Amino acid sequence: MTTLGITINGQVHAPTEVRDDLSMNDFLREYLGMTGTKFGCGAAQCLSCVVIVDEPDGTCHTNPTCVTSAASFHGKTIRTVEGHAKNGELSPLQKAFIRHFAFQCGYCTAGFLNEGQVLLEQLAKTPVPRAGLEERIAEALDGHLCRCTGYFKYHEAVLDVILSDAKRYLMQEPRG
Amino acid sequence: MRTSRREFMKWVSAGGISLSLSHLAAAEPVAFPARETLPGRGKLNPAIGGAGRVDGVAKVTGSKLYASDFRANDLPGWPAKTSHAILVRAPDATHVYLGMDLARLSGALKPTVIVTAADLARINIRVPAYYEGDLFCPVGKTPLYMGQPVALLIFEQFDTYDRARIALRDGTFVQFGEETGPIVMPNYAAYRFTRVAGATPDAPDVYSPVLAGWVTPGRTQASALPVWSSTAHKNEAGYEKAAVHGDKIRAEIAASESSALVLDRTFDTQSVDPMFMEPECGLGWYNAKDKALELVLGVQSPYEAAESIAFLLGETKAPFKPSAINAQFAYVGGGFGGRDHTPFIFYVTLAAIFFPDRPVRLAHDRYQQFQAGIKRHAIKMRSRMSVDRASGKITAFAADHVLDGGGLANFSANVATCAATAAIGIYDVPKVDVTTVAEHTRGVTAGSMRGYGSLQTMTALEVLIDEAALALKLDPIDFRRRNALKQDGRTMTGNPYIVSVRSLEVLDKLEQHPIWQQRAAEKARAASGILVGTGVACVTKDYGTGGDSSNGRVELSPDGRIAIFCDHVEMGNGIGTALANRVALHLGSIADEVAVSQVGVFDAMELVTSGDCYTMDQKTQDKAEKDPRWVPSISSATSASIGAHVGTHAAAEAARVIFRFGLWPAALALWNIGPRDPRAKDFAKAQWKDGQLTMAGLPSLPLDKLAAAAHARNLVTGAVAHGFSRWAWARARFPINGEQYRAEIDGLALRRGAGKFTRINRASVLFPPTDNNRMGTAYTAACGATVRVEIEKATGVLRIAKAYTAFECGQALVPEVVLGQAQGGFAMGVGYALLETLPPFEGGPGNGQWNLGQYLVARGSDLSLRDVEIELMPPLTPDELPKGMAEVVMIPIVPALLNAIQDAIGHRFAALPVTQAMLKGALA
Amino acid sequence: MRAETRVKTLVVVATLGMSMLTAYAAGQGASKGLASPESFNGIADTNARSAAIFTELGKVLTHPRCVNCHPAGDMPRQGDAQRLHQPPVARGADGHGTAAMRCNSCHKDANFEPGRIPGHHEWHLAPREMAWEGKTVAEICVQIKDPARNGGRKVEDLIDHISKDTLVGWAWAPGYGRAPAPGTQAEAGALVEAWAKTGAACPG
Repeated sequence: MTTLGITINGQVHAPTEVRDDLSMNDFLREYLGMTGTKFGCGAAQCLSCVVIVDEPDGTCHTNPTCVTSAASFHGKTIRTVEGHAKNGELSPLQKAFIRHFAFQCGYCTAGFLNEGQVLLEQLAKTPVPRAGLEERIAEALDGHLCRCTGYFKYHEAVLDVILSDAKRYLMQEPRG
Repeated sequence: MRTSRREFMKWVSAGGISLSLSHLAAAEPVAFPARETLPGRGKLNPAIGGAGRVDGVAKVTGSKLYASDFRANDLPGWPAKTSHAILVRAPDATHVYLGMDLARLSGALKPTVIVTAADLARINIRVPAYYEGDLFCPVGKTPLYMGQPVALLIFEQFDTYDRARIALRDGTFVQFGEETGPIVMPNYAAYRFTRVAGATPDAPDVYSPVLAGWVTPGRTQASALPVWSSTAHKNEAGYEKAAVHGDKIRAEIAASESSALVLDRTFDTQSVDPMFMEPECGLGWYNAKDKALELVLGVQSPYEAAESIAFLLGETKAPFKPSAINAQFAYVGGGFGGRDHTPFIFYVTLAAIFFPDRPVRLAHDRYQQFQAGIKRHAIKMRSRMSVDRASGKITAFAADHVLDGGGLANFSANVATCAATAAIGIYDVPKVDVTTVAEHTRGVTAGSMRGYGSLQTMTALEVLIDEAALALKLDPIDFRRRNALKQDGRTMTGNPYIVSVRSLEVLDKLEQHPIWQQRAAEKARAASGILVGTGVACVTKDYGTGGDSSNGRVELSPDGRIAIFCDHVEMGNGIGTALANRVALHLGSIADEVAVSQVGVFDAMELVTSGDCYTMDQKTQDKAEKDPRWVPSISSATSASIGAHVGTHAAAEAARVIFRFGLWPAALALWNIGPRDPRAKDFAKAQWKDGQLTMAGLPSLPLDKLAAAAHARNLVTGAVAHGFSRWAWARARFPINGEQYRAEIDGLALRRGAGKFTRINRASVLFPPTDNNRMGTAYTAACGATVRVEIEKATGVLRIAKAYTAFECGQALVPEVVLGQAQGGFAMGVGYALLETLPPFEGGPGNGQWNLGQYLVARGSDLSLRDVEIELMPPLTPDELPKGMAEVVMIPIVPALLNAIQDAIGHRFAALPVTQAMLKGALA
Repeated sequence: MRAETRVKTLVVVATLGMSMLTAYAAGQGASKGLASPESFNGIADTNARSAAIFTELGKVLTHPRCVNCHPAGDMPRQGDAQRLHQPPVARGADGHGTAAMRCNSCHKDANFEPGRIPGHHEWHLAPREMAWEGKTVAEICVQIKDPARNGGRKVEDLIDHISKDTLVGWAWAPGYGRAPAPGTQAEAGALVEAWAKTGAACPG
């Protein structure tokens, strides 16, 4: 047994004891009932189970939950699909996913949402030139499997959010 | 501390820290039907204005929606705690099953309940005929197939279950003895489809399945495969007639070799997994005191599942026999056919029944899903084709198909016939002879999967066509055009299509596309070390099964809110949104309550059925239909691409009735138009604009005002309808308000004002003739693809440089969803052509050790996302009915890729998939 | 039906001629050992002995546990079948992955057995110049001695690297579903040491 204290979507969970071999996915889904985070393959192949980890230095990244122990999240601050909307207002990326019909069955959506959100936040910190944007999106999302959509509309939705707030996410082109 | 979720919550609260999630803090969990009704009254509805799907918000916020999301404490009235079951399966089917190594699960890992074959026999569990075969392999028998269940282990605590599943995962937990070899079983089905056209296109056929019926060869014990020859023993006269024609066609093909182009080729396709994202799972609770069985499931065939479970338990001994079963069906995380008639539901049921009063969850992990989920049939094909050199016309085609059906019959017979009747694709061939047999093997059960046999046979065909065009030195598109079936031509079963035939248009589009136009130039300017090739293919695929039912219920509230209930399933295909849009055509507004996968809400029609709608004879149907409640079948699975044209049909018809006998008379009243005024019959001229009913020269009326008036006047405010299609909709007349209302429905119940739904007896009915069952299909949708590939000589790495797909589907109910499905079909086609494969037996997924990683599906990086163009063609006429397109869109890219590879490297592959390693090998 | 009675009946049946015919835990089998340095004492010629010792060590270096993360390209391989790593990952600037996919997103401090996933706090790809994939033992030998291609190590440093480095040591405790490297880390270390002391000759 190992101690696990964790902050999820801004809410602090006091330390508790968990089995060393309990996966983070089962901690979320079976212990907390937070089933927005999906179980797809259990082998870090489809990434439908990723959550966002917020590091103390202000950076963030996604982390699969199916191949990682709950205990390895001790002391971490994470976000899940349930935490993107604030006070009933959907995030720009959530809205874009809906507007673009990005998903069909929706089972992979939480993973794509978290990955896309991390990309947005990384770009907000370190904008990239417009020229390499599609490649950057493709690289960011490539770990995620979707069986319904062929990925097209997910990529379009992320691109749309970035281009509609280009000042925030893209390096400004030198004026000529 | 081993905390259940409830205990954990309590503990967190006791620590003085607020709960982390508002939906957990809710005093009462939300009822299942309310959760699954989307978007929900008063909620943001993205479907309004076409800005999203009705399930859009639920899906981007992680709402509990899928069967895998529910635990007992999410469901009001259920006990709080969930127990967990493991379904133990045999990884071997050539040795005698001896038992399980239960010593491994001693002490803390001990299961609370173990259910085996003996227990099922003891309480008298019955297996429905469709699923024939032992639900559990009994000790002392060789498993019928790899992955056959041997036992259910039920654990009271999640943690015990979680640790136990690790302890038994290595494949040695199930123990075997003597080698017996695989169990030999008869073939699931064998058919022969033979057609000989008349001398001219207008002349009647000399012989066809529609004229003579479908035929099957006699069983010959001495051989594993049927003996197809017309001279074989034990054949019935009907078969012999077909075989005489068929044998003659084959002889003619052989004899034509000196004058015509004759190709004789094999093509083999592989087994693949639908790989829907949500592994199968379910939750059950048998309340022994009330004898009530509660189930939460996620399948494509809710009605069938509920019926089969009722049969399963129909004769069980007390106290195992429930008096009521309440099966609730959730949104599903992908299906692609693999959740249609899945035996998984039985094991969820058994887990609940054998651990009374405890909610039990059974969920596959991905290894188990690979081990046991329904697969696509691997097919071995041999095709022979004769082409007249002068005209470039195909004169005869013969083929033999052998399908690996795996361990249980499932849909093997249907896939075999669908594959066979699709074997000549878009072409008009005067002489065709196709045999097909689906075999039992020890592999994982194969059944329904997107493409349903046609994918396999049309891939083989389009590769063969390409080779023929090359051999004849004809342009591949020109060759296809010469042979394409025209609107009134006959399919290989001998009937014409009753919907638009647009393959010629698709061919034109492919020909005009820059990918095709620039193929020579692109090949010529290939970079060094890169081989460039362009391929093309065009197919047409049936939708519907020839026995499809639709149930719909629509309710209009006094404030103009619309609620829709439908028996079809939302598996990503957007049926909820399509329903909302199709109903809005009649009622002027998008519903804010759409409930899919419904079983019990259509009871007001009091429908009954009997017989098998696919096989019954006309006399039986004529007699049965005299009962005004009788229909040929009650509810269909959401499969066969029927979501659009069937799934939404009944709800649309229900809405039409509400308009006609609710909103229209309400409008007349508000307009002060009397019944004798000629305008009273002008309901067809009224139009909805921005939620208002408009009529030339009259004030526009908003829906809420009309709805209020309809309620106030006790007019029709709700309707339940049933439709049945056997390659044509059943039609009936219903007496409503002294009128004979005619519609393409065969069952109806109405609600007036705020009253109850009451059945309307039909006055007459016209069911499609039972002879329609002899057609392969009468519904079809076309799709073509052209693709340019770049293959690196040194490594065999293939890149899709450009791809284009064009398809038609009549009126697209939700164009964005249709496009998304086409994009997904493209991706699945690329994976099928280049990546996905499962070995059939030992070493295959039945061993329980397969997962993604070893099994590759297409990722974004495999698809050249920005170089793929998919065109949805507008309907032929503005009022063209929706056509099913979910399957056809995955097919042509497969042969187009193979043809492009041939163009690039000069080697024609005759088996799937074509992997990088194979390309490298061919280039070496 | 309760477990107690069921277990008894099954045990009785199961003990009748039970044999375990199917073991699907790929790579779970005991690894073959490594020969000790002393076993090469019969080779009189020092260079030949040294080369023979390295050849024995080569069983470790060319094992999937080592080669998978010493790949020829920028993508690691995985499993005993040495498939390209899925999901597709690349070494990135520091050998620890790209911005979108870092090695330690999945690979934590230790193996996580329920997820069948290997782990070590330093999980990363060997630098490009240390690629072993597709090379013969002789080629690896030359490479491993070349400071430009071995991380600037002297031959003596390799003894510690191979015998003590805990990431290297993972190869002998790789977790469920993966065959461990042959022998033990100590045995491999002894071979390196003997090879270095005999002049670090390479096989021809």
